[in-house]
Amino acid sequence: MEDRQIRERPARAEAAGRGVAVRLAGITKRFGDFVAVDDLNLDIYEGEFFSLLGPSGCGKTTTLRMIAGFEEPSQGEISVAGEQVQGVPPYRRPVNTVFQSYAIFPHLNVFDNVAFGLRRAKTPKDEVASRVADACEMVQLAGFEKRKPGMLSGGQQQRVALARALVNRPKVLLLDEPLGALDLKLRKEMQLELKSLQEEVGITFVYVTHDQEEALTMSDRIAVMNEGKVQQLAGPTTLYETPANRFVAGFIGQTNVFSGTVEAADGERTTLRTREGLRVEAVARDQASPKEGEEVHAAVRPEKVRFGGSGDNVSAAEVKQVVYLGASTQYIVELEGGGKLVLYQQNAFDATGPLEGDGVSVSWDAQNCLVLGG
Amino acid sequence: MAATSKGSRKGTMNGLPDWGLLLGSVLVYLFLYAPIAVLILFSFNSTRSTQVWSGFSFEWYGQLLADPTILQAFRTSLTVGVIATLIATVIGTMTALALSRHRFRGQSVADTAIYAATVMPEIVVGVSLLVFFVAVRIDLGITTIVIAHVAFTISFVTIVVRARLAGMDRSVEEAAQDLGASPVQTFFRVTLPLILPGVMAGGLLAFTLSFDDFVITYFISGVGSSTLPLKIYSMIKFGVSPVINALSTVVLVATLFLIFGGSRLLVRKDNT
Ligand SMILES: Nc1ncnc2c1ncn2[C@@H]1O[C@H](COP(=O)(O)OP(=O)(O)OP(=O)(O)O)[C@@H](O)[C@H]1O
Ligand SMILES: [Mg+2]
Repeated sequence: MEDRQIRERPARAEAAGRGVAVRLAGITKRFGDFVAVDDLNLDIYEGEFFSLLGPSGCGKTTTLRMIAGFEEPSQGEISVAGEQVQGVPPYRRPVNTVFQSYAIFPHLNVFDNVAFGLRRAKTPKDEVASRVADACEMVQLAGFEKRKPGMLSGGQQQRVALARALVNRPKVLLLDEPLGALDLKLRKEMQLELKSLQEEVGITFVYVTHDQEEALTMSDRIAVMNEGKVQQLAGPTTLYETPANRFVAGFIGQTNVFSGTVEAADGERTTLRTREGLRVEAVARDQASPKEGEEVHAAVRPEKVRFGGSGDNVSAAEVKQVVYLGASTQYIVELEGGGKLVLYQQNAFDATGPLEGDGVSVSWDAQNCLVLGG
Repeated sequence: MAATSKGSRKGTMNGLPDWGLLLGSVLVYLFLYAPIAVLILFSFNSTRSTQVWSGFSFEWYGQLLADPTILQAFRTSLTVGVIATLIATVIGTMTALALSRHRFRGQSVADTAIYAATVMPEIVVGVSLLVFFVAVRIDLGITTIVIAHVAFTISFVTIVVRARLAGMDRSVEEAAQDLGASPVQTFFRVTLPLILPGVMAGGLLAFTLSFDDFVITYFISGVGSSTLPLKIYSMIKFGVSPVINALSTVVLVATLFLIFGGSRLLVRKDNT
C-alpha cells in the first residue's frame, strides 16, 4: 500500500519560525442574543496569506471588523503584532482594510485617495509623492493619478482600494471579499495578481471570501467557518484531501457522501453499510474513530471514483447523466445497491466514456473514502 | 385603463372638454403670475401711477437707492440673514448628523418634531417667541430677530442635510478611520465634503426664508430695527408708490436667484 501522506505546500510562515501577526483568543461576538462569532481561536503568522472561508452570514466580516477595530468583541482578546488592541480605535491600529464595497473617497482623485493614509501619518510631501507613485505602479494604475473614482472601472477601483491600503505598509492587510464585484475573468486575473503581490510585499493578508476555489488558489492556510465557529483550519491540500467533517467536505469542492452504520472497525479501516444496503469500505483518520454500530458518514471525491477496475469498493451501476465540462466529464450514476454517485473523468486523450443508460462498473479505494468526524 | 384612454381621446374627462381644462389652467397661471408681472412692470413706469403705463424709466430704482431708511432696512435684513444662516446651518447640520447617526429612545418623536416645526403656523411661532423674549427680558431688536430666524430655519436645514446624508455611503467614513483619520479629521476630510452640497443648499434656503420672513419678524422686531419686508409693509401704509414695486422686484429677484442656486446645488453630482 502506498504511503498516502498529504504533501502540503510548506506553510512558509510557520516554517520560517516567524511571529504571530494576529492572535484571536477566545473571541465571541454577540449582537443581542445572536452569536455571530463563537469562541474563535486563531493564530495568523507574519507574512501568511490567511483566508476566512465560509457561507454567507457565518461571521467572516464580523471577525475582520473586530480585527480592524470597528466592532469590539463581546469576549476574548485580540492582539496585532504582539500588542493587545482592546479599546484601541481603528485609526490607531496597525492594520488596513480593503472593503468589499471599496469605499473609495468619491470627492478625491486617485492620487489623493492613495495618499490619504500617508498624509494622516504626516509623511513628508516628497515621500508621499514617491510612495503613492510606487503604489500606483504596483497595482498598474500609473497614469491614472488625476482621475476621479467616478471615471474608473470596477477593476480599477478595486486596485485603488488595494493601493490605498498597501501604501501605508500595514503589518496586516484585511481584505473583505475584495474581488466579489468583479466578473469571472477579471476575478481570476486579480487572484493571481493579488497572490504574487502578497508574496512580493510580504505583508500578512487576512482574506475573507465565500468562494472556496478562490481560497484554495490563494491561501497558505484557510479557516473554514460555519455559524460563527471554525470547522477546520488547515492548508488547501489538507482541507481538500482530509476534510474534518461533513460541512467542510461539502463546502470545499464536490463530494459523495455515504451515510450508514459501522459494521466493522479495525484500526483505520472501517466498513459501513448504508440504508440502501451498500457496503462501503472506508478509512477513518485522526479525528474520527468510529465504533461498531455507530452512525457515520463517509465521503469520496468524484475524481477518485473510476469506471471499471478493481478496488476495495466495486459496484455495478447505470449511467444516468453525462455532462461534458471541457477538460473533464461529469457522470452521475445510480448504484445497483441504490443511491447516486457523481464521478469525474479527465478527457485526456480521447473523450469516449460510457453514455447515458449504459450499464457500467465503478470502483474506488478505501484510502480515498474518508469517514468524516462531527 | 381602456376606459380612460377612450375618454381622453374623445376629449372629455368627467364631462369637461379639453379646451375647458386648458382655459382653467391658463386662468390659474394668470391668477398666480399676472399680479407679479404687473408689479414688476410698473416698477419701471415713468410716472407715479401704478395703474396707467406711461413709459419706461429707472426713476423708482433711483429713489429706492436714495432713501436711507430703505437701505438701512436692507442692511438689517442682510445682517440678520447672514448671521442667522450661519448659526442655523451649523446647528441644523449637527442635528441632521445626530439624527441619522445615532439610534436613541424617542427618535421618532425627535424626527417628527423636526418636520412639524416646518409647518408650524408662523403666527403661533411669532407670538410664542414674543412671549418668551418678554419673559426672559431680552430687549426686542436685531438680536431677537436673529434668534427667531435661527429658530425657525434650523429644521429646514436639518431636513435638507439629512436627505443628503441618507444617500451617503457610510463605509467611506470607516475607510477614513481605517487609514488613520481621527473622528474629527474624518468629519472635515470626508463627511463634510460629501454632504457639502446639501449643507450649502440648506444654508441658501435658510437665508431665503430669513430674508423674506414677515409674520414672525413683525412680532419680535421691536421699534428700532426693521427688516425689508417690514419696511415694505410700513411704506404701504402711506400709500402705494412705485418705489414699493421696485423694492418688491429686487426682493423677488434675489429670492429666485437663491432658490435656483440652491436647487442647482442639490442636483449637482459628486464633483465629477
Ligand atoms: N450590527 C449587527 N447587528 C446585528 N446582527 C449583525 C450585525 N452585523 C452582523 N450581524 C449578523 O451576524 C452574522 C454574521 O454577519 P457577517 O457580516 O459577519 O457575515 P459574513 O460571514 O461576512 O457573510 P457574507 O458572506 O454574507 O458577507 C449575520 O447573521 C448577520 O446578520
Ligand atoms: Mg461579509
